[in-house]
Amino acid sequence: MNQFLLGLVLFIGLMLPPVANLMESVMIIHMHMQMPMLVIAGFFMGQFFQQRFPHFFSKYNQDGIPGIFLFIIIMGYWMLPRTMDEALTVNSVELFKFISLPFLAGVPLRDSWKKLSKNRKNYTIAFFTVIFLGMGWLYIQANDQLCNNYLVNDQIILGWGFITMAISMLVYLVYTAVVDPSLYE
Amino acid sequence: MIKNRQTTVSCIVVLVFGLFLFYTGTDGFTAYTAETARVTKLVEEQPQFPQVTFEDSEGRTYSISEFEGKYVFITFIYTGCTTICIKLEENMSEVYDRLPGEYIGKDIIFLSISFDPGNDDPATLNKYKDLFGSDGETWRMARIPDQDQLGTLLRKFGVIVIPDGYGNFAHNSAFYLVDRQGALVDVMDFTKVKEAADNLKETLKADRGK
Repeated sequence: MNQFLLGLVLFIGLMLPPVANLMESVMIIHMHMQMPMLVIAGFFMGQFFQQRFPHFFSKYNQDGIPGIFLFIIIMGYWMLPRTMDEALTVNSVELFKFISLPFLAGVPLRDSWKKLSKNRKNYTIAFFTVIFLGMGWLYIQANDQLCNNYLVNDQIILGWGFITMAISMLVYLVYTAVVDPSLYE
Repeated sequence: MIKNRQTTVSCIVVLVFGLFLFYTGTDGFTAYTAETARVTKLVEEQPQFPQVTFEDSEGRTYSISEFEGKYVFITFIYTGCTTICIKLEENMSEVYDRLPGEYIGKDIIFLSISFDPGNDDPATLNKYKDLFGSDGETWRMARIPDQDQLGTLLRKFGVIVIPDGYGNFAHNSAFYLVDRQGALVDVMDFTKVKEAADNLKETLKADRGK
């Protein structure tokens, strides 16, 4: 229950207009801080739903696959330049952002992640590594403004943010592939 | 991979939802950026050019009705711009040159609108227009001194202008075509000069045939 409250406080905090406006004023903070924090808020709140509807999750998300698909879809959707732009100009899109990221990405991620095998976890990470490299390349090489509400400079910074995260995930993947932790325990 | 019926069901539901989400979110996989979506929407809606007062490079003031009965080919610029506006105006000048002379001034007027009225006074606009061979008559450059009117126009035509903090502005660029009745009928890619010119010729020709 404590976790739920923590998630709820985080969620409400992120929704406060001054906080939201501030975070959305910088492109990279909008995409790489606000959006992940919404997912994290959902992740925390997820426990409540798991306890409340244990049957639903075990029945319809038995092996974690549907949940992780839903997570990937929602994350992918919010990586489109257009959705990020419209979150700033269209109210319903902004509302959808605040609902979909915690409840359709954070909650299923929580339920799915534990159920996934080690391999499937790594596939998921590898998938995001590839996507992030692609998005990074897209935002760095595009000379045009992809988002009308942000400057080209912001866009390049965001691109490098994607690349940096992709490199971090790559390091992790190489590490899990090469190092056998049991040797050191 | 999939073990039971419920999992299959939920997988399908999730995938269908995803497809639906991306389909509606990109107008049927056509518009991945807000700019594409904006242009599609504008051409569909054909907004009317609002009532604004221009002040052009000669210091004359008039409203859009000055051009009533003529097509108006429009770009949005500011003269302090060192990057995209120059390209935009060069391309506009190329479109101007490509059009048969018989149409120019009679059926169509070219108009560059400055969204930086603070700096772009008539004298500045006058100097700027010479850079691109604009004659100030069939191709005019004008500012809209009233900020509210300017704001209304920019909003209606979906032009988003953001100051970058160094006295410059980032903005989306395109060619806009307003018809004889003052309705926005087309938004063209300003990087495709030949296409825009051909497009324009077609429209004018078809219109004369009426």
